[in-house]
Amino acid sequence: MNLRIDFSSGLPIYQQLMEQIKHAIDTGAIRGGEQLPTIRKIAEELAMNPNTVARAYHELEREGVIEVRHGSGAYVGMPSTSSVKAAGIRRAGDILRPAMEQGLAIGLSGSELRRVFEDELARLQDTAAADRRRN
Amino acid sequence: MLWYKAWLETRWRFAFLVGSILVVWLAPLWISSTGVPPGVPAAKQWMGLQLGSVLLYIFTAIYLAGSGINSQTLYAATSGFHGSMLFTLSLPVSRRRLLFVRAGLGALLTCILVAIMAGYILLRRPEATSALQSLVYLTRAIVCTMPVYALSVLVACVLDEMWQFMSACFVWVAVFLLQARVEVVSRVSPLRGMSLNCYPITAPMPWAPVAVSLVLTGVLLSLSVLVLQRKDY
Amino acid sequence: MISTHGLSKSYEGKPALIHLDLAVPRGSICGFLGRNGAGKTTTMKLLLGMLRRDAGSIWLFGEPVDSEESGVTARRRTAFVSEDKELYPFMTVDQTIRFTRAFFPTWRRDLEEKYLDLFQLPRKKTVPKLSRGMRTQLMLLLAMARGAELLIMDEPTSGLDPALTEEVLQALADLAASDGITIFFSSHQLAEVEQLCDRVCLIDRGQKVIDGVLDDLKAEYRRILLVFEGEPPRELASLPGVDHLRRNGRTASLLAHVDVDAVVDRARELMPISVEVHPVTLKELFLDHVKGE
Repeated sequence: MNLRIDFSSGLPIYQQLMEQIKHAIDTGAIRGGEQLPTIRKIAEELAMNPNTVARAYHELEREGVIEVRHGSGAYVGMPSTSSVKAAGIRRAGDILRPAMEQGLAIGLSGSELRRVFEDELARLQDTAAADRRRN
Repeated sequence: MLWYKAWLETRWRFAFLVGSILVVWLAPLWISSTGVPPGVPAAKQWMGLQLGSVLLYIFTAIYLAGSGINSQTLYAATSGFHGSMLFTLSLPVSRRRLLFVRAGLGALLTCILVAIMAGYILLRRPEATSALQSLVYLTRAIVCTMPVYALSVLVACVLDEMWQFMSACFVWVAVFLLQARVEVVSRVSPLRGMSLNCYPITAPMPWAPVAVSLVLTGVLLSLSVLVLQRKDY
Repeated sequence: MISTHGLSKSYEGKPALIHLDLAVPRGSICGFLGRNGAGKTTTMKLLLGMLRRDAGSIWLFGEPVDSEESGVTARRRTAFVSEDKELYPFMTVDQTIRFTRAFFPTWRRDLEEKYLDLFQLPRKKTVPKLSRGMRTQLMLLLAMARGAELLIMDEPTSGLDPALTEEVLQALADLAASDGITIFFSSHQLAEVEQLCDRVCLIDRGQKVIDGVLDDLKAEYRRILLVFEGEPPRELASLPGVDHLRRNGRTASLLAHVDVDAVVDRARELMPISVEVHPVTLKELFLDHVKGE
């Protein structure tokens, strides 16, 4: 796995690590059923706090992304279609949340924000459709 | 390990003293083996030896007591910079024990050197010396040198290396002057107790200076421990 | 693991530490921050018994440290790296290691070998002949191979190049992960504090200013940037939850704490043209708490 953490950003590090691991699963760098590196290994490689790594693993286990087997280590959960969908939905929520927070923070109202979302979604779907027609 | 470290810190001073003693005393011996210096009878030579002995004992004691206790690098002249003392203090050793070992080794070496010098003086005495007289002299030479050592230990706990020698000398010069004028001081002064001028070989054990020396040594070393325990590094 | 209550110390009448209440839990890695002269070194020296405290109490490993004996017992389980990194000038690397080893029955020979190898220290050279970086590495070796449960370090990576720094941080992270030791260290390198620490404690002019879990602090604080038509109103500074206010022309920058939404709402009442909310870096937290308006 290639893990890159920005320690100086405002985002909590354990969340970044969770993102990175989920990304590694998405891109196939590590697959369902495979064993994750130990907490110690990640802490040493990235020279980061092992408690933070542990917290990330704990949260990932709570979300069902990984499973921790006693005495054996942490393993990537086997994907089932519904759990993949559920995970996907959760991920989308995680990605969109900060953007929506920003929108609200700069003073947009709920309905204005929804309008922006729908406009962007329509634009993306049009572009995707146009690409499909071209190919 | 503390003894090992104390030895590593003290060995050059010890070597310097041994070398000095050899030069000061054995060189004339070698010279005189080719013929006694004209006009100097053996008795006179011996007088010279014993007069110098007090100074040598004092110098030895002061020199071996310094360094290693307060400042442990060459550059610790300014307060606030304590060099490797912080490392030593971070070890699981009490300050009392640190002083005990460091001062203990210095005291041991001082006793050895004083015994050697005193023994040499006894050997060179033109007249025969009885075993008892030798024992008396050796004992009082060593015991009366100890307060000089202990005072320098206390001074080393309080002052930086630069001032240790000067302050110690100052005290003993003052004692030397006082003992000639003040009755009480002359009766108990360690300097007189170790001197052959004041108490010749034939004299009985001068109990007053010897007892006072022992007490002084104890008091000064205890004070040193107290000072060291209260010191901020 | 480390706990102080009301710890105070003055030098010649000038206070260096004022009623410091410190709490470093077992197994955490705590970054001790502060400007030069804020009292970090004084705190560490007090913990180790090199200075006598004027007031307050010190607890290490859950036991009070208030006598020579308790100090010795505590130091048996502790390792210290001083700011000056001074060792005995008359000893070689080997001799220094052998000397230190003799005091700690928990000494880890395997770690000694590992770090000697990793740091490539020349065994027969005397300490004065070592470069600054190598002296630091030797001190770190002595601290990490000791089998101590607590490491107290004063700027452990100062003077080290980035590659060596990373090696040291990795070694510390590994030690924390494998042995669960507690690490309490001061540093001016905020980046490495953010990397390695789960807790931070910031002191300024002898007093504690921030203390807590780093991730939580980053979640609790927000920077709010406001633009106004005219000069930003002074009332901004007195809004509850606002730690610091900086004004510059028509813009105002607030550091808000805990109930950020409430602060944003109150700020909006003052009719700004624009409101932005951003997360806060450790550097910003530091700078805003040592020289606020």
